[in-house]
Amino acid sequence: MSGGFTRIPGKDCGFMSVCEISAGVAGGKYSASEITEMYIEKIKSMDDGIGAFLTVCEESAVAQAKALDEKIRSGKKPGRLAGVPVAVKDNICTDGIRTTCASRMLENFIPPYNATVVEKLLSEDAVIVGKTNMDEFAMGSSTENSAFRITKNPRDTTRVPGGSSGGSAAAVAAGMVPAALGSDTGGSIRQPAAFCGIVGLKPTYGLVSRYGLIAFGSSLDQIGPMTKTVEDCARMLEAIQGRDDRDSTSYMGEYQQDYAGRLGRDIRGMRIAVLKEFFTDGLDSEIASSVNESVRRLEGLGAAVDEISIPAAGDGLAAYYIISSAEASSNLARYDGIRYGYRPKEFADVDELMEKSRSEGFGAEVKRRIMLGTYALSSGYYDAYYKRAQKYRKLLRSQMAGVFEKYDLILGPASPVLPFKIGERMGDPLQMYLADVYTIIVNLAGLPAISVPCGISRDGLPIGLQLIGPHFGEAVILQAAYALEQELKLEL
Amino acid sequence: MKISKDDVVYIAKLAKLRFSDEEIEKLTGEFESILGYFQSIDRMDLETVDPDEFADGRETVFRTDENVFGGDREKLFRNAASMRGTFIQVPRILE
Repeated sequence: MSGGFTRIPGKDCGFMSVCEISAGVAGGKYSASEITEMYIEKIKSMDDGIGAFLTVCEESAVAQAKALDEKIRSGKKPGRLAGVPVAVKDNICTDGIRTTCASRMLENFIPPYNATVVEKLLSEDAVIVGKTNMDEFAMGSSTENSAFRITKNPRDTTRVPGGSSGGSAAAVAAGMVPAALGSDTGGSIRQPAAFCGIVGLKPTYGLVSRYGLIAFGSSLDQIGPMTKTVEDCARMLEAIQGRDDRDSTSYMGEYQQDYAGRLGRDIRGMRIAVLKEFFTDGLDSEIASSVNESVRRLEGLGAAVDEISIPAAGDGLAAYYIISSAEASSNLARYDGIRYGYRPKEFADVDELMEKSRSEGFGAEVKRRIMLGTYALSSGYYDAYYKRAQKYRKLLRSQMAGVFEKYDLILGPASPVLPFKIGERMGDPLQMYLADVYTIIVNLAGLPAISVPCGISRDGLPIGLQLIGPHFGEAVILQAAYALEQELKLEL
Repeated sequence: MKISKDDVVYIAKLAKLRFSDEEIEKLTGEFESILGYFQSIDRMDLETVDPDEFADGRETVFRTDENVFGGDREKLFRNAASMRGTFIQVPRILE
């Protein structure tokens, strides 16, 4: 592959990996304070041009790093992510740090507790350096629905970074952090990872606790890592996964502990299914050829690849938008201006308080989804929309399960299109929804999937490949993604 | 899929949202195209699928009923718009 990116600001500052930093800090090669200060400086000098962050928590990050240095000096064993600066999507609650969901509704919301994933990061001695921009309440595919700022794609600043975890993806791609957390309800980790040329993993539903993740579609939402490399992604997943009594959908079985240790294993004999439904008219030809090239490379490494069909997989978009909007309309009913969140200055009675809070506090896309969801759940339409969508979901799950009886992984593109221009798709909500066509089936079926860079377009834009595994098949996904990453050696 | 402005006004009322006439007009058009697309779900044969049937032995999850400290009162109320003592103040609902 030729090309490479010349437009990444700060590329010459160098990119450090999660593994490099944690090993270096734990071994005394660097202090956590110098790493933290270096990254905070990077954010300060670069983020005006990118817009990845909504909050930079310099003070708490510096204090945290200092405490970690003290801990190491006193001879205590540091955690697995010692001194690793991590950015957290702004829909994940951070105690004492403003968490806005990129919405006017929560502009001044300061959570009184940490999300479980944040607790886990802190207990492994990661340093939280900031909160990242996103589409409001995670509804969108371009981060243009943020109430506060536009995030630019560091690969080409005239283009969107994808969404909804666009701030996290841009921060990692620009080298402002080595790792970030995103959330994925219909592709919100994988699509921005593909657009920005990084690695993004949506874990199996239930693998990572949702406690403290501000709810959008509760049966679909999952938190996952976004990193530069597959190995870093594995390390982050090891740190954030695990049973949590505060999330009743948390997985109760055994958790695999050492994803990183499995990387580098031979993929000879691995059975990979290429999904025919992913290669339709709407797919960009450069993405198609890049994905096909990756298939050839995987075959060269000894994988057995077949083309297969999952008839239901091509029709998921309607069911996804019905279910996610229905759940959103119910979850977002809590924003009524009474206990917390935006409240208008003047109102005559309690009804007006609620209506004005919601109408002034929510942006256009959030209101559109609440309206769609309310419609789908309303009397007379429930059977036609919501119930049919649930039936579809059941059918899809069983068809996907059938494929995993014969195959280890399903392969396809992460997005049908290359990163588009800022503003290009904002006029037509349906066009924007179509950007999620390859990722939503994974959430509907509760499966894990990764987006890993697999090529660069003629214009220098990154292309992402999606690998989908069976429930709790993260180890196999990471193993195959690592093999491909090492084989392609893309200059990203 | 024919959606009238009245349908949109009715749904807005259920969702506790207010829109200007202009916004209602725009939403009506958007609804028509999005719901038109949603009808693709009618093409599929889903008659034999029972969405309530779980063959894989899933059970309801319970957690133990234990008292846990919920955090400082001051911290918990920090996001409330207005308080009187330890109560969140809301508009009068009884005349």
